[in-house]
Amino acid sequence: MTNDTVGDRAAPARRALGAVLAASLIGLFILPIVALFLYAGYGNIANAAGSAGFRTALYFTLLASGIAVCFGILLGVPLGYILARYRFPGRSIVESIVLVPVMIPHLIVGIALLVLFAPTNPFGAWVAGLGIPIFDAIGGVVLVMVYVGASYVVLTSELAFRSVDAEAIEAARSLGASPTEAFVTVTLPQAFRGIVTGSLLMWARGVSEIGGFLILAYAIYPSFPYGGPVTNTASVYIYDLYSTAGVQAAAGASALLVLAALAVFVVVRFFDRTGMAWTKVGWFA
Amino acid sequence: MTDVRLSEVVVDRDRFRVGPIDLEIRAGSATVLLGPSGAGKTSLLRGIAGFLPLRRGVVRVDGRSVERAPPERRGFGFVPPGLGLFPHRRVRQNVSYPVDLRGTPDARARVQRWIDRFELSDLAERYPAQLSSGQRQRVAMARALAGEPRALLWDEPLAALDVESRDVLLRLLRELIESEGIPLLLVTHDPATAFALASNVVVLDEGRVRFQGAVTAFPHAPLNRFMARFLGFENLFSRDDLLAAGNGLLPRTLLEDAGPGGIVVPDDALSWTPASSGSDLARITSVRWAPRGWALTLRQGTMAFYMHAPSDSSPLRVGDAVRLDLDRTRLRPLAAEGAS
Repeated sequence: MTNDTVGDRAAPARRALGAVLAASLIGLFILPIVALFLYAGYGNIANAAGSAGFRTALYFTLLASGIAVCFGILLGVPLGYILARYRFPGRSIVESIVLVPVMIPHLIVGIALLVLFAPTNPFGAWVAGLGIPIFDAIGGVVLVMVYVGASYVVLTSELAFRSVDAEAIEAARSLGASPTEAFVTVTLPQAFRGIVTGSLLMWARGVSEIGGFLILAYAIYPSFPYGGPVTNTASVYIYDLYSTAGVQAAAGASALLVLAALAVFVVVRFFDRTGMAWTKVGWFA
Repeated sequence: MTDVRLSEVVVDRDRFRVGPIDLEIRAGSATVLLGPSGAGKTSLLRGIAGFLPLRRGVVRVDGRSVERAPPERRGFGFVPPGLGLFPHRRVRQNVSYPVDLRGTPDARARVQRWIDRFELSDLAERYPAQLSSGQRQRVAMARALAGEPRALLWDEPLAALDVESRDVLLRLLRELIESEGIPLLLVTHDPATAFALASNVVVLDEGRVRFQGAVTAFPHAPLNRFMARFLGFENLFSRDDLLAAGNGLLPRTLLEDAGPGGIVVPDDALSWTPASSGSDLARITSVRWAPRGWALTLRQGTMAFYMHAPSDSSPLRVGDAVRLDLDRTRLRPLAAEGAS
């Protein structure tokens, strides 16, 4: 489909320019990944896959990010719903606060969380008293991941809830559905894709995080639910590898992490789309 | 057989108040809420359905007052103007929605009955986005009825439909009213829909009832300016208009027959003959071809008349002089503004 009007002689030139600009950005996204894989080569990737240390770091990262996404959905979806459906005083302030974690550098997130949760202040002492380890533990990793990533769940689910037809909800109510039934049977299925997208973004953000971990949880000691050996998050592990063993070793582990992330992405998208056949018809296509 | 009765119902909307309104919708009859956009029709319907709180008043269904119940316990089948179909459910799943909620034993048969009734069998596995607007209307209707409502509340059912789908839907609605005996309350801005379906009409304007009664009495109801405009009359003259038009025979005659709000000269009260000389002549100021023949604008002094001429009448040109004749029995005096 084109929007070219009859006699628009500049149209081919404009289309060519658009294509070049779009292709440049796509190239910028893809080329470094291709370079990474070429540079690492099969040998380094196989080495990383065979390394027990990296496998533990990868497993830990998937575990922590999975837990973080659960918290992100639990806390983020209700906030997204409230922002989509209700008008209340201070609403724009709340919306701005949701954007704060996206705005501030994540090394600073680590420092701020360190200060807040330090057992030397009353709040940190109270949390420590609950028996939830934060420093150098999975608790701290999950905390950082939720902090830097939950905004994506809030923002995308807010958009998704907004796009749900309010008349469909009213029709459901009139047909006998309680507010909860209407939410579960009408609102949630239509907002589902948005929530999945937000969760995926949050997950990717959490896996790619490093700044906050460097401050709060550089080394990970076992604590529930992680019972393995002392490890790092995959990102910190790769950073360590880079500074101690060099760029080739780091490239192998990096390529493996990219593959793991892509696998998660493809699997989630596959189930998302097959479960939502209706989105492929008409204007949803 | 259900009756719905509204007593002194008032709904507050942002800018103004709708009502008070008393209304009785009997089983097997349709009542149409008619009025221009912004008249308060939709607010009233939403108030009855439970989506807007009533300021005061009582809504009774079979004698039981429901105005404090949530929408799902009122037993109305409310169809919003956009229909509110579920985009993620197939046609069959849309229709079965109210049945699924209650888990009735004969669910399949009931759903199939409505799917057949509205000729949706071939479309049952499609999603709403794959349907035409007429088909979507039928799904909405089947779904509302599958819930076995005590009354149907429908906001602008025929909006955005082509003539053919409109006729199909009107036929279905008429059959439904007769066979199911369900009271129907329709909101529309289109008088033609009201005439095609309703046994009773309520005309709302700026939240107030301007006419209420049998549809047969509607065209003969005392007219005020709003009602006359709403019914499509074009030649409206206030008493001041007529006084300002001078001392000619036409304005004098009209003034004699005018009511407190002035007078309406219906299209069929006017006739004309070509004339070249004489006093009190009118001139043709525009000629336009319209489906019914020629649409003319004539001007006599300060008064402009719109009328139609048959397509086979002698050629008419802008500037031609004609003599206008009035059939005084067809003139409609206007009541004062605000009266009904």
